[in-house]
Amino acid sequence: MAAGAGGADGECARQHVFLLPEYLKDASKKIKSGLMFIKLVNPCSGEGAIYLFSMCLKQLFEIKVFKEKYHSWFINESVQSGGLLHFATPMDPVFLLLHYLIKAGKEGKFQPIDQVVMDDVFSNCTLLLKLPELEKLLRHVTEEKEIDNKKYYKYSKEKTLKWLEKKVNQTVAALKVNRVNVGARVQSAAFFCSDQILSDKEEDYICYAHGLISDYIPKELSDDLSRYLKLPETSAPLPNPPSKRLKVSNEPVEAKEDYTKFNTKDFKAEKQKNTRMTAAQKALAKVDKSGMKSIDAFFGVKNKKKIEKI
Amino acid sequence: MDLSELEKDNTGRCRLSSPVPAVCCKEPCVLGVDEAGRGPVLGPMVYAICYCPQSRLADLEALKVADSKTLSENERDRLFSKMQEDRDFVGWALDVLSPNLISTSMLGRVKYNLNSLSHDTASGLIQHALDQGVNVTQVFVDTVGLAASYQERLQQRFPDVTVTVKAKADALYPVVSAASICAKVARDQAVKSWQFVEKEQDLDADYGSGYPNDPKTKAWLRRHVEPVFGFPQLVRFSWRTAQAILETEAENVTWEDSALEEQEGSRKITSYFQGEGPQARHPHRYFQERGLEPATAL
Amino acid sequence: MESSCEVAVDKQRVHVRPATLHDAAPAVLHLLPCDVLANRPAPVERFFTPAISQGTDGLQVSFRGRSLRGEEVSVPPGLAGYVMVPEREEGQIKREDFRDSENNGEEDEQELLERSFDRFIGATSSFSGFTVWGLETVPGPDAKVRGALAWPTLAEAIHAQVPEN
Repeated sequence: MAAGAGGADGECARQHVFLLPEYLKDASKKIKSGLMFIKLVNPCSGEGAIYLFSMCLKQLFEIKVFKEKYHSWFINESVQSGGLLHFATPMDPVFLLLHYLIKAGKEGKFQPIDQVVMDDVFSNCTLLLKLPELEKLLRHVTEEKEIDNKKYYKYSKEKTLKWLEKKVNQTVAALKVNRVNVGARVQSAAFFCSDQILSDKEEDYICYAHGLISDYIPKELSDDLSRYLKLPETSAPLPNPPSKRLKVSNEPVEAKEDYTKFNTKDFKAEKQKNTRMTAAQKALAKVDKSGMKSIDAFFGVKNKKKIEKI
Repeated sequence: MDLSELEKDNTGRCRLSSPVPAVCCKEPCVLGVDEAGRGPVLGPMVYAICYCPQSRLADLEALKVADSKTLSENERDRLFSKMQEDRDFVGWALDVLSPNLISTSMLGRVKYNLNSLSHDTASGLIQHALDQGVNVTQVFVDTVGLAASYQERLQQRFPDVTVTVKAKADALYPVVSAASICAKVARDQAVKSWQFVEKEQDLDADYGSGYPNDPKTKAWLRRHVEPVFGFPQLVRFSWRTAQAILETEAENVTWEDSALEEQEGSRKITSYFQGEGPQARHPHRYFQERGLEPATAL
Repeated sequence: MESSCEVAVDKQRVHVRPATLHDAAPAVLHLLPCDVLANRPAPVERFFTPAISQGTDGLQVSFRGRSLRGEEVSVPPGLAGYVMVPEREEGQIKREDFRDSENNGEEDEQELLERSFDRFIGATSSFSGFTVWGLETVPGPDAKVRGALAWPTLAEAIHAQVPEN
């Protein structure tokens, strides 16, 4: 977490642009809000990630960052390179607890939770033990024993898969409500589906939701969940393509950038056509807008860089 | 010349025209096209047309119009007023292309070079005269580029008119000289009374001729370079002189369409990709399509 | 593999100065379609703001001789925008005194939330919307950032507690 405060001429400290839940502002009226950014494990990758933790609300927030090339901010009378936009959204702490329970579960014995949620690197994980209704949370994914008024827990894959299935179901419902385009990889990044796409198969929604949930659990568990949900084998690698296929998975993203120049409605109606637009056609489409360019203005058109070349 | 229209908004293009003399709609007319301010790194480029009936060419010549470059500013102003007095047989129209329009055209995703911009503007003005009912039969155009291909193109566009494109036409044909005077008067006035869109600037107007090789102009550019914004919009950002100063004196700016191939290679790969191998996983398509990833540092 | 410094960073907490969240004055933000490779003061009010005009297809302005088209976007409901700046190392000296509240016995553990190696961050301004600029075209609903703004709603659903059996 470099501060980025430079001593160079005219440089100023790095400014982070954040979107936080509004209620954190009210919670901060208390002197002791205990709102802090901490580094915890990312249960998907096993690496470190930034979270926000409110001691006062006993709540965990995930931080996602919007990061696209070629952006920067003007913030009042300053410029901030990078154009990052951070989102803090409430996160189900069970995903993080699971990371530690699965690790401990390999020993196959019941343990007190404070001996499970321990981390030499991300020592702030012990803050999770302060969560309200911790026992209720643990019940979703563990078997529990009580001896001498002390509780002992053991990871239960069976209960976890049941819990994850519910997670997938509630995600499917949200995807439908929010009209997220879950269809097969059309050459489009239209975020909201048209009425036609609304007839997407239920299976597409489940696959998509499974993929989203998989971003919060280890690979093995993701595979187990896929089998548990009886998802078709072929769709499993879709959300997490092997690294060599990164470029392929980026394709709709890259394609989108050209389509933004078209009227969204027209684009949707002619999706098939547009996927085969040539550079010249794109150039022509731009001309219609300006209405003042002669044909020889286009000799400067370059072919769009092929992303496969990275 | 009333440039109030330009002063209201000098970020695009602005057209001014004289009333069309009634005689120009009846009698066959000669029309001249010339430009002023093509070369300078500052201020607008002005294209002008001037026309009069063939039968009155001698009257126009009697005004002793000449290539605007051979005239002093006072002489140009005087000749322009004379042409105004002769509004019963001389008409004119001009297009002021703001430096911002020139910059954004030349630096556009689809590059629109100065030649094309010039040719299209000239054609636009000829068409404007025709649309106003001027009985144009002959057109003379001054050019700095290749005359032959330009003439061919204009001839194709205006098949009912005899088009002559020639270098130094402004010295050879009085209507072109007259057009060059209109253009130059408008350009000078526009630069002199330039309304800076930038607020509260202590911008001096000591920018010399505006030509890139004028030491005064260069000094002015260096004096007014701003590390983030570059220059006021009076400056043509697309000029090499301006770009060279920005390269050394302003912050670097990268654009999606101007990024070098090499930058593509050094693209920052997030921490997911550090642990290559079977464990490496990428964010779900939902996140990829929205440019979202888990934050790993503050 | 990890240096001791990195380990310390992983253990570090970056405490948000609570008062700054309601004291932060509103700021004007523009998200540009280019990366200005600098973090520094910039005379936005002099050069940029007065040049913005309402065109037929959204807002228009130019930057560095390139034409931009823009649109206003709002922070999604339920969220608040903040610009946050980490305090320099010296800032750590100004530590908030928590001993009073600890005496309340509200917490079982008397653990200090703030440790000597922690850092602080504060909001310097707030915002409820910003202008997104595209190069020559309005970013529109398919722009990535517009898609990103829909994330909090979906996140809420994904991370909502599931009912117990």
